Amino acid sequence: MSASTELVQILEGNTFVVSDSGGDIEASPTDPTGLFSFDTRFLSHWVLTVDGQRLSPLSTDDLHYYQARFFLVPGSGTVYVDSQLSVIRLREVANGFHEELRVLNHQNEAVRLEIRIEAASDFADLFEVKDALAKKGEYQSEPSPGSLVLRYRRETYMRETAISSTAPAVFDESGLTFQVTVPPHGEWKTELHVVTVVGIVDGSQRGAARSRGQRRVRRDMARGLEKWLQRAPRLECDWEPLAAIYHRCLTDLAALRFSTLTMPNRALPAAGLPWFMTIFGRDSILTSLQALPFNSELAATTLLALAERQGTRTDDFREEDPGRILHELRYGELTAFEERPHSPYYGSADATPLWVILLDEYERWTGDVRLVRHLEHAACAALDWIDKYADLQGNGYIAYQRRNPETGLENQCWKDSWDSISYRNGDLPGFPRATCELQGYAYDAKVRGARLAREVWRDMALADRLEKEAAELKRRFNRDFWIDDGEYFAVALDTDGRRVDSLTSNIGHLLWSGIVDKAKARAVARHLLGPRMFSGWGVRTMAEGDARYNPIGYHVGTVWPFDNSFIAWGLRRYGFKEEAACIAAGILQAADIFAGRLPEAFGGYPRSATRYPVQYPTACSPQAWSTGAPLLLLRVILGLEPHHEHLIVDPAMPKWIGHLALLDMPGRWRRMDAYGRGRVDTDRATQR
Amino acid sequence: MAEDLIAEFFGRLADQGQVPTFAGESATIRFDIGDGEVEHWHVIVRKGNVTVSRQHKSADAVVRIKRPEVEAMVTGRLNAQTALLRGAVACEGSLAALMMFQRCLPGPPGSTGRVAPISSATVMSWRRP
Repeated sequence: MSASTELVQILEGNTFVVSDSGGDIEASPTDPTGLFSFDTRFLSHWVLTVDGQRLSPLSTDDLHYYQARFFLVPGSGTVYVDSQLSVIRLREVANGFHEELRVLNHQNEAVRLEIRIEAASDFADLFEVKDALAKKGEYQSEPSPGSLVLRYRRETYMRETAISSTAPAVFDESGLTFQVTVPPHGEWKTELHVVTVVGIVDGSQRGAARSRGQRRVRRDMARGLEKWLQRAPRLECDWEPLAAIYHRCLTDLAALRFSTLTMPNRALPAAGLPWFMTIFGRDSILTSLQALPFNSELAATTLLALAERQGTRTDDFREEDPGRILHELRYGELTAFEERPHSPYYGSADATPLWVILLDEYERWTGDVRLVRHLEHAACAALDWIDKYADLQGNGYIAYQRRNPETGLENQCWKDSWDSISYRNGDLPGFPRATCELQGYAYDAKVRGARLAREVWRDMALADRLEKEAAELKRRFNRDFWIDDGEYFAVALDTDGRRVDSLTSNIGHLLWSGIVDKAKARAVARHLLGPRMFSGWGVRTMAEGDARYNPIGYHVGTVWPFDNSFIAWGLRRYGFKEEAACIAAGILQAADIFAGRLPEAFGGYPRSATRYPVQYPTACSPQAWSTGAPLLLLRVILGLEPHHEHLIVDPAMPKWIGHLALLDMPGRWRRMDAYGRGRVDTDRATQR
Repeated sequence: MAEDLIAEFFGRLADQGQVPTFAGESATIRFDIGDGEVEHWHVIVRKGNVTVSRQHKSADAVVRIKRPEVEAMVTGRLNAQTALLRGAVACEGSLAALMMFQRCLPGPPGSTGRVAPISSATVMSWRRP
């Protein structure tokens, strides 16, 4: 990619700007550039010219995740001529964006210049940007002496973009123009404000205090990031790349922080940048679990925000049921007019039990019984959902089948692509489908719910009932899902109760949940580290040899770092410390190659065949649960486990890591240090 | 007729007393309904327990909405979140209070929670990307 076609993205919360490397935005209806907020594009055109000439970038600095600086010179840039002018744009995201524009004159004489910014917005919904849909409302452009307001209206739905400048400008319907004189070896400067108006939260986004407010927001952001990094445990390690990976993960996690409208002062992890900057039940919960030893606030906010929107009624369009935890929440036009169901959409079969698991794990680390008491009703409703609403096959297992056939999700588990769940011969099962990891999550949710009932809610009857149900579920599961001749668990049961017999990474999640009989665990571990599943970098989503296996198939052969982090946790849980260390070794070495930022997925080719992991092309980076994977792996290889008021440390780490220390681990013990030394030889397994 | 739907809804809510879906939470919400002659409904939720009055008193959230929209909402034909995104509802004050309140609204008429199973053969016959 040449410098001029590379995209630059900066963001804060659910507002982000994607521009070319010169800072310009020229979006087509399907092009992912622009200023986006609340799932809506507020600027689709933002082009700077000097005396009618476009500028070309000399360099671009991504200063922080919310800030970028562009160094520009007039001209097309194909032939470089010493320029007599340079232009610097410093852009920061905050309630829209703020851009400091400076024009530097390098001549001995003053110059008169016409500086122009063309501005327009198509107010596209994020979903429209992906699918190129036509708009149904009306556009207005309202220039005044001090500003330009771009507006979109459809019935009572209204979104606005307000553009203003500190230096005097002439505003017209399609932009603003400055007539300026720049003194010899001097500079001219203005500050441009682009403010997005959603109209849900009244007052706060308008007004004269706008620019002062934005500067304050900016300072807060810089301070916030510093504080965030300082509050995290310190890492020391002989293997130098680990410190860089750790720092990258913490910084990316900070960028992924997202606040809901009802909890503006709290943050939870959004799913990914930039297209998934919103609450996803599954992604927010799993990322919170991964990050829990390092930061518990993300988990607390995730629990509260998801409880606030927990289902209370039957709604087939949104696939809502009483007690169900949401899948995805969106704020755009298509959601507003029910052309998409994300208000919120509940089509996820795992988020509900996973929410209960997070609640328990959160309490084990933090001892925050107040929050657990506060969420008792939500937890009971979630546990009820498992038995009353999720048993679609009538056999006591969680199953899913969409009730919204137009815009609902076919596969309501983490492997949500159409071909992810198949028989060994490649055939696809019917619906409803009961995938295996859902049963593991249900089991774990019951076990953990029982602990909370006994120790926090003091509801012994509930605790007894949940424990009995969990034991019963485990017994049946080990009988019904086990494939004798292959010695592994089927990926699902189909509508006829038949085993869907492909070999998939889902069996690793079963170890994590604890539903696997001890006698069957070794066979499961052998598969996970065996040649059909382990690539040398990690465990493939589907085993080589099954009909749909494809090393670059989204859920049918690629290696997902997040998946592997939970598999490693599962192996640890059943005592397979060395196997867990091998998975951690592969994934951390891959993280080093990706400069600390693991992609969502990479190719399932054997490690020896490609030498470097082949990245699966996805739109989102960083992805929350990939960002969380190294954090969870640190927990796993150090063997960190809360036990009453103590933190148990029981390391089993790759030899080449050497000495590793995590200092000031927060938790109910206040702060503790964890040390380990690498003793496991992982090279044989990872050199596959 | 229109008056009935709204009064009936708030009447039922008041009769219910403890509303389980409020999960023991507390908040006050006032609905200002209509354009010209504004009708007020004041709802106090204390630990999940509801009292309703017609008073024009202060509240954590003041919700401005037109009569047809309230009727649609209390009969499950309009979702509170989409109404908010669409600008059909304006909320002043605590959005959290409104979000809590919407948990007592019914689901859309016609939603059964059920759907017919689909066979493997049917799934195999679908055209795929």
